[in-house]
Amino acid sequence: MENFFIALGVLLVGGVLPLFFYRLFRLMKVIYITVTMLGSVIGLCAVLPVFGHREVATVSWPWLHLFALSFSLDSLSAFFVLPIVVICPLTAIYAFHYMDKERRSTRTAVNFFFFSLLIVSMALVATADNIITFALVWEVMSLSSFFLVMYEYQRETTRKAGYLYLVFAQAGALLIFAAFAVAYSHSGSFAFESFAAIPAEAKLVVFFLALIGFGSKAGIFPFHIWLPHAHPAAPSHISAVMSGVMIKMGIYGIIRLYSLLQVNDIIFGRTVLLFGIVSGVLGVVYALGKHDIKKLLAYHSVENIGIILIGAGIGMIGLATGRPVMAGFGFAGCLLHVLNHSIFKSLLFMGTGAILHTTESRHIDQMGGLIKRMPITGRTFLVGSISISGLPPFNGFISEFLIYYAAFQGLSLSGSTFILMMLAIISLALIGGLAAACFSKVVGIVFLGEPRTEGAAGASESGLSMTLPMVMLASACLVIGIFPQTFIELAFQGLRDMHGYTPVADNLIAGISCNLALAARLLFVLLAASLILRKVFYRRKEVAAGPTWGCGFTRPTTRMQYTGTSYAMSIVDFFKPFVKVTTSYSGIPKIFPQRADYQSRVDDIAEIGLNRGVVGPLMKVLGRMRWIQHGNIQLYIGYIILAIVVMLFFLYNT
Amino acid sequence: MESYLTLGLVLCGAPLFPGIILKVKAFFAGKKGPPLLIKYYTLMKLLRKGSVYSTSASFVFKMGPTVSFATAVMVLLFFPFAGADPIISFHGDVIVLFYIMGLGRFFTILAALDTASPFEGMGAAREAFFSLLAEATIFMVMILFYRMNGSLSLAHYFGGAHPISLISPNGSPLLLVIISMFMILLTENSRVPVDDPATHLELTMIHEVMILDHSGPDLAFIEAGAFYKLFFYAAFIAQLLVPAKLFSGPVYTVVFLGTLVLVYAMVGLIESIMARFKMNLVPKYILTSFALVSFAAILTTMGVV
Repeated sequence: MENFFIALGVLLVGGVLPLFFYRLFRLMKVIYITVTMLGSVIGLCAVLPVFGHREVATVSWPWLHLFALSFSLDSLSAFFVLPIVVICPLTAIYAFHYMDKERRSTRTAVNFFFFSLLIVSMALVATADNIITFALVWEVMSLSSFFLVMYEYQRETTRKAGYLYLVFAQAGALLIFAAFAVAYSHSGSFAFESFAAIPAEAKLVVFFLALIGFGSKAGIFPFHIWLPHAHPAAPSHISAVMSGVMIKMGIYGIIRLYSLLQVNDIIFGRTVLLFGIVSGVLGVVYALGKHDIKKLLAYHSVENIGIILIGAGIGMIGLATGRPVMAGFGFAGCLLHVLNHSIFKSLLFMGTGAILHTTESRHIDQMGGLIKRMPITGRTFLVGSISISGLPPFNGFISEFLIYYAAFQGLSLSGSTFILMMLAIISLALIGGLAAACFSKVVGIVFLGEPRTEGAAGASESGLSMTLPMVMLASACLVIGIFPQTFIELAFQGLRDMHGYTPVADNLIAGISCNLALAARLLFVLLAASLILRKVFYRRKEVAAGPTWGCGFTRPTTRMQYTGTSYAMSIVDFFKPFVKVTTSYSGIPKIFPQRADYQSRVDDIAEIGLNRGVVGPLMKVLGRMRWIQHGNIQLYIGYIILAIVVMLFFLYNT
Repeated sequence: MESYLTLGLVLCGAPLFPGIILKVKAFFAGKKGPPLLIKYYTLMKLLRKGSVYSTSASFVFKMGPTVSFATAVMVLLFFPFAGADPIISFHGDVIVLFYIMGLGRFFTILAALDTASPFEGMGAAREAFFSLLAEATIFMVMILFYRMNGSLSLAHYFGGAHPISLISPNGSPLLLVIISMFMILLTENSRVPVDDPATHLELTMIHEVMILDHSGPDLAFIEAGAFYKLFFYAAFIAQLLVPAKLFSGPVYTVVFLGTLVLVYAMVGLIESIMARFKMNLVPKYILTSFALVSFAAILTTMGVV
């Protein structure tokens, strides 16, 4: 545990140093990256031993004479710290070339400071051991990420997105604190262990309040609205960390709370599973409908959070119905997907950042042919795309397979739980197919074919500091896919300290991971063999180059290529009741056709619903109350006095 | 040894069967039709040739055929042809296999988009859409089979102690499965009524338009991959049709091969008597297959059969 805090200390120092060195732009970045990497390596060394030995380290300091700040590092915490210390230093390296505007050096320094604060606070969230500590570090995490989103504050869209994020973060925090307050009112203790003792009805309230609160951080449908706004606004390396790592803290909260409450009711698992199914399917459908590449990736986070929750829900149902194998595989799949998603999602956001950096566009229909101009970004993005689609032999498949395995185990249940399991399997299959469709769209439209605009035609590969982390992450995707044994074991180790978890037999886990490894390697061998076969057939053959067959049309232009919009339209249309598609078409009114005009947009029903159902009425009521805010300072002081008098009145009455 | 021999025979023999489809179609059209070995001639012709690559294409375009070929072969390694033990098999291999087929499809789609041709993009979009609907049916079949005999591997579906079989006491819902798997066979292998392999207008194609720009050995790889994929689905249905444990030894093999020919002939029959659906009807067609399997699953779980 000491090493862990040393690591956090080093990371904090790394964050503060840029504030002094901001005049020396390059030096500042080098110092920042070096110290952050050092801190992360120490952190990694502090966390890895936790999986090996069994005792749980705890630390506690008194604070303000009233409270104690206490932290504990068990295997579940350690597993969630893992992506933090692995992904964050890579994004810091990435920032070296990404943040290359020297005139913004002060702002960059501040950005680095908040970035370090975010890393530290996330690590502390994963280890916090009582209500006060958790609330404190949770708020630090939300606020530091808010400032990171606001990097380009002079743009109106950024300010709006940042504000929206703040509202969601604070409303979510409010619900979490309310949940804690309910627990506190029953137990009278700040310690997390006391949660187990509260009455069952209170547990229900605590869990569901917190589920919505954590859900708004994690991006569960329909509390995900801030994601597609905040990610395009934030710098890409920040999006990578927020989407890859930070939203997982919401998942951590849900799993930790479930473990703390020590509940055994099936309703928890069912609800989480249902949320997972809805987030998973609708997340990817909206991703298909979006053509701003960062928005698209944001919706994919919603989808992957859905997959993670499906795993967690199945795990919870497994615990509730006394099926340790199902519970183990569900939770292990969930945890492994947390790790996997943090790898491929940050990889994809980095790739997007590289594209943004050179083409200065986020719309996929304005790109094309980038793989020839940005070979490393293109290849790593391709790897990330296959991984996120859950296709073998990459890492996404491994975690999805574990969840499938658990869900099939659950098919032996009866009644409505069986139907839920069936739904879970079908929706996982659907999510897989939709994700593959969506990422074939992204790769196909952005990286393949011909450039659609001059910006895309003039793109060039980014600097080494940006490509290196992408290459490392892409190799990580492949390594987990081909050597899954260690990582599956790690996920099961992560579950060790969870309440109610009975360890799954080692040989079962080993058997399944061996089979997965075998399948992945076999595929590799077959691919290699086919490539050699192809080489043999192409020996001494005439290979020519020519234009693409235009089906008889001889004057094609790059603008005639299929667009992302048309590629996705038929699939999005299929899901129409859940997705609002608006199209307008000018038609061809005259005999000699003139410029025609076609527009289509896909709107989020959750956002529309929120606007209509909550924001609208709220604005109406609050609009009437505007007279309270008049700007007259004397009257404001009057409010304060009035409030104190009223409070005193209540105090004396009780 | 036997399993390797079977696999070798399958790899060599799969291109023979599509010839049956052509023969059946020719019979209905009152023509003589091409020789049975036509597909071998085609493959040989393609392998002898060189290739022309589009100037728009990148390395992904060249990877497409190889990946789709390798994934199609991979699936055959797991299949217990006529009850013979497959080369490898483990609990959960069906999930892996259908995802591996997904990988092949992913690269086929990418290769199509790599050519910058609007027609190929159109085909790619259709392929992505229809196959994801088909996936739902396939996973529903897995759910049903899991309920029936608790296994998740091809070898245990059609072999082992409790194979899934039409003549078993709870085998009657399999009739629905056979019909819907046949519908999926037609969808996934781009046959009528989903796609018309013989059409001449690129706008109406799905699979054919995606491979327009491939030529020479690359095209041969794609064709061979397609033959294997079709063979896998046909063998799947044939295994369902031939009740395991009723036959054994060479008789089993002969009956299996006979059923296989029947399945291929059925494809030819459908192709001769039906026209291709309008594109907007295809999703409904695929969902029908899903509904059929769901119905079978409900019957099984409710304990009706």
